[in-house]
Amino acid sequence: MPPQIVRLVLLTIGIVGSYLVARFFLTPASFGQYGWYRANALVEIATPKAVYVGAKACDECHAEEIQKVAKAEHKNVACESCHGAGQAHSDNPDRNKISVPTDSLCVRCHETDPSRPEWLKQINSKDHYTDQKCTECHVPHQPNEVP
Amino acid sequence: MTMEITNTIVQVLPRFEGYVYPNEATVQPLWGVLIVVYPYVTGLVAGAFIMASLVRVFNVKALEPVYRLSLLTAFAFLLCAPLPLLFHLGHPERCFEIMITPHLSSPMAVFGFVYAWYLMAVLLLELWFDYRCDFVEWARTQTGFRGLIYRLFTVGVTDVSEPALRLDAKLSQVISIVGIPSAFLLHGYVGFIFGSVKANPWWGNVLMPIIFILSAIVSGIALCAFNYLVLGWVRRTELNMRCLDVMGMFLFYALVVDAAIEALDWGHRVYEAGESFQILQYLATEKLFYTLRVGQALLGTAVPLILLGLLQLFRTRFAEIVRKRIYFASAVLILVGVLAMRWNVVIGGQLFSKSLRGFMSHKMEFAGTEGWLMAGALMVLPFVLLAVMINLFLSTKLRTCKRETTGPLPA
Amino acid sequence: MKTRISRRRLLRTTALAAAGVLGATLARTVKAAVQKLAVSSAGPKGYEPTKHKWLMVIDVNRCIGCGLCVEACKKENHVPQGPNYFRTWIERYIIKKPKPGSTRGEVLVDSPNGGMNGFPPATVPKEEILHSLYVPKLCNLCSHSPCVQSCPVGATFDAPDGAVLIDPKYCIGCGFCIQTCPYGCRFLNPITRTAEKCSLCYHRITRGLKPACVEVCPGQARIFGDLKNPVPNDPIQKFFATNRVQSLKPYLGTGPRMRYAGLDEEVR
Repeated sequence: MPPQIVRLVLLTIGIVGSYLVARFFLTPASFGQYGWYRANALVEIATPKAVYVGAKACDECHAEEIQKVAKAEHKNVACESCHGAGQAHSDNPDRNKISVPTDSLCVRCHETDPSRPEWLKQINSKDHYTDQKCTECHVPHQPNEVP
Repeated sequence: MTMEITNTIVQVLPRFEGYVYPNEATVQPLWGVLIVVYPYVTGLVAGAFIMASLVRVFNVKALEPVYRLSLLTAFAFLLCAPLPLLFHLGHPERCFEIMITPHLSSPMAVFGFVYAWYLMAVLLLELWFDYRCDFVEWARTQTGFRGLIYRLFTVGVTDVSEPALRLDAKLSQVISIVGIPSAFLLHGYVGFIFGSVKANPWWGNVLMPIIFILSAIVSGIALCAFNYLVLGWVRRTELNMRCLDVMGMFLFYALVVDAAIEALDWGHRVYEAGESFQILQYLATEKLFYTLRVGQALLGTAVPLILLGLLQLFRTRFAEIVRKRIYFASAVLILVGVLAMRWNVVIGGQLFSKSLRGFMSHKMEFAGTEGWLMAGALMVLPFVLLAVMINLFLSTKLRTCKRETTGPLPA
Repeated sequence: MKTRISRRRLLRTTALAAAGVLGATLARTVKAAVQKLAVSSAGPKGYEPTKHKWLMVIDVNRCIGCGLCVEACKKENHVPQGPNYFRTWIERYIIKKPKPGSTRGEVLVDSPNGGMNGFPPATVPKEEILHSLYVPKLCNLCSHSPCVQSCPVGATFDAPDGAVLIDPKYCIGCGFCIQTCPYGCRFLNPITRTAEKCSLCYHRITRGLKPACVEVCPGQARIFGDLKNPVPNDPIQKFFATNRVQSLKPYLGTGPRMRYAGLDEEVR
C-alpha cells in the first residue's frame, strides 16, 4: 500500500471516529424522543408560572360578583380584561391589590370606531356626557344598570 | 444588540414606509452585512477552485502559472469563511449543534459537513498532493519555524519516488474532478438557502442557486487574476502574458454566461409579473438603485463585458501594458460588482415587507458586529492569510520539484 | 519520523482511553437520569402531549381592536417592550370607497405598536370608508411549517399537540426561521438572542388554562380549543359549522391550521 494512502486512511478513520464519538457525547439527553428536538424542551417551556390566572381563580373568592356579571352584558368579558393580570393578587390578596380601571379603559373598547363591528355598543366620547365619568351612569359589572 | 443599548438613551425609531409587519420593523436587518460577506467569500473560494480545476481537469496548460496561487487563494478564503457566520449567530457558543444534531431538512444544516468535506477532502488533499514533493524537500532543508511547518505538512510521508509522484498526480486529478461538484455544493447550498425561502419573493426562486454559482465562478476568476497581477507588481517580476490572456478569456465567457442568466431572471420576473412584482420593481429601481443598477449591472457587469470583450476581439491591437491595466480594472470592477450582487440579494430581500405593502429602512453601523469596520476587516483578513501562505508556499527562494515557468510564481 | 513505541505503553494508553470512554458514558447515563428526575418534576404533571391537539381560530367579525390581547401576551410571556417584538399583534385594514370607474378603493393598513394600546382614530373620514376591519395575527400553526423545516439544529419544532415551539436553550440565533415564516410572526429576542414566537402560552394550556390573549379578549374573537378533546358546545366546532373560513397565504403550501372568518381579500 502506498504510504500516502495508508496515512490518509488512518487520518480519515481518526477524524470520522472522533466526530462520531463527539456526536454521541454531545447530543442532548432527550433528543429525538418525539422528533428532531429535545423532548425536555416541552417540559421547560411549560414550566413558567402564569401571569394571568383565569376566571376560576377569581371565582374562589369573588363568586358572588362573578354571578352578577354573568347575568349582564359583560358576561363574556374576562375579569382580567379590565382588572389586569391577577397572579400577584391571587398569590397574596392583601398585599397586592387588583387594579381598578378608570374611564380610559371603558373608551378603549367602546369608543366609536368605523373599524369596529356593529354588534358592539359604541359612543363618541366627545359627545357622550363629556363632563361626567362613565361610572356615574353605568355599573361596570352590570352596564345597563344605574348605580 | 448595540441598537438596544442606544435605544435606552435615544429612541431610534425603526423607519418604514407603507405597512410592514411589526416584527419586520427592526432598526437593523436580521441578516446584515456579515451575511453579505459570507456568500461572497465562499463564492470566491468556489470560483478560485474552479479556476484551478481548469488546469487539472480541462488541461488548460496556459493557466499552469496560476494553479498554485488559485489553490492557495481558495484555501486562505476558506479558512476565513466561517468567521462572519460565527459572529452573526445569537449564540456562537452553540455553533457545534449544527454538526451534532443537524436538521437535514434545512439547507443550512449541511454547512458543517460541506465545509468540512471541502476543506479536508478536497482543498487540503489537492494542495497536499501537489505540494507533497516540495514539502519533503523543504522539510529537509529548512530550519526553525518554517521547517516545522513543512515537516507538519508532510504528515510523516516522505516517499518521493517516481511511482509515488505519479500516484500523487493521478490522485490530484481525481480530487480535482470530485472538487468541482463539491465547490458547486459549497456555494450552491448558500444560493439554495435563499432560493428555498418561498416566503420571500425576492429570494425564493429556482434560478437563485444557479446565479450564485455562476457569479461565484466569475468572482473567483477575477480574484485570481487580481492576485496574479498584484503579486507580479509587488515582486516586480514579468507576468506570463499568455496566462493572463487566457484568464481574461475565461473571465469574459464566464461573465457572459452569468450576465445571461441574471438577465433571464430579470426578464422572467418582468414578464410574469406576479403578485409581488409591483413591490419588487420599486425595490429594484428605487431602493436598490445605486447598488443594483449602477453597482452590479453597470459597473460590475456591463463595463467589464465591454472591456474584456474588446480584448477578445482586438487583442493584438492592445499593447501588453494596456491589457494588464484592463484586466486589473475589469477584475476590480467584477469583484465590486459581485459583492454588490450579494448585497442586493441579502439586504434587498429584507428591505420590503412580506405583506407586500411597505418598505423598511436600515442604517448600517460603523463599529458594531454588523458594521463597516467588521465587514472590511473580514474581507482583508483572507488577504493577510494569503500573504503568509505565499511567503511559505510560493517563495521564489525555494526550489520546487516541478519545472520553472515564466512569471512571478514558481510553478 | 518513526519512533519505537513499546507494546506495554501502547496497551496502557489503549486501556486508559477505553476506561475514559466507559467512564464518560457512565457519567452521561447518570446525568441523563438525574436530569429526567429533576426536570420532569418541574413540569405540569399528567400532561401527555400526544393526547391533545390545540387550535386557535379567529373570528374577525368580533375583533374590536382594543389591543388587550397584545398587552396580555407581552405581560404573560415577558416579551421585550420594543415596537418590533410581538408574538401577536392587530392590524387595521381601512378600505376606502372606490373612485368612479374603479372596482375597489385604496386600502390603508396600519398597526401602531402592534395595536397594543388600541388604535388612534382613523385619519380617513368615516364617509370615505367602505369597510374597515381589525385582524389579529399570530403564529398560523402550520402543518408543513417552513420555519421547522428550515431550522438547522432542531431548535424549533412541531410539538405533538399542535403547538409550534422554540427551544430557547438550543436555538443558535441564526434567524433562518424568522426569514422563512411568511406570516411575519417570528422575531429575534434581543435579550435572549434566540428566535421567539407565539407558543400558544404553552405553560398555560398544559395546565388547563387558556392562552392569555384568548383569556382577555372581550369580544371572543379568539377561539381556542382542543381538537382531540372537544368540550360540550365546543366553540371551535361551532366556528367551523357557522362560518365560511379562510387561511392566510394558502398558495404557499404551508398548510396553516389556523383559520379566519370574516377576512377580506386585502388581508395578507
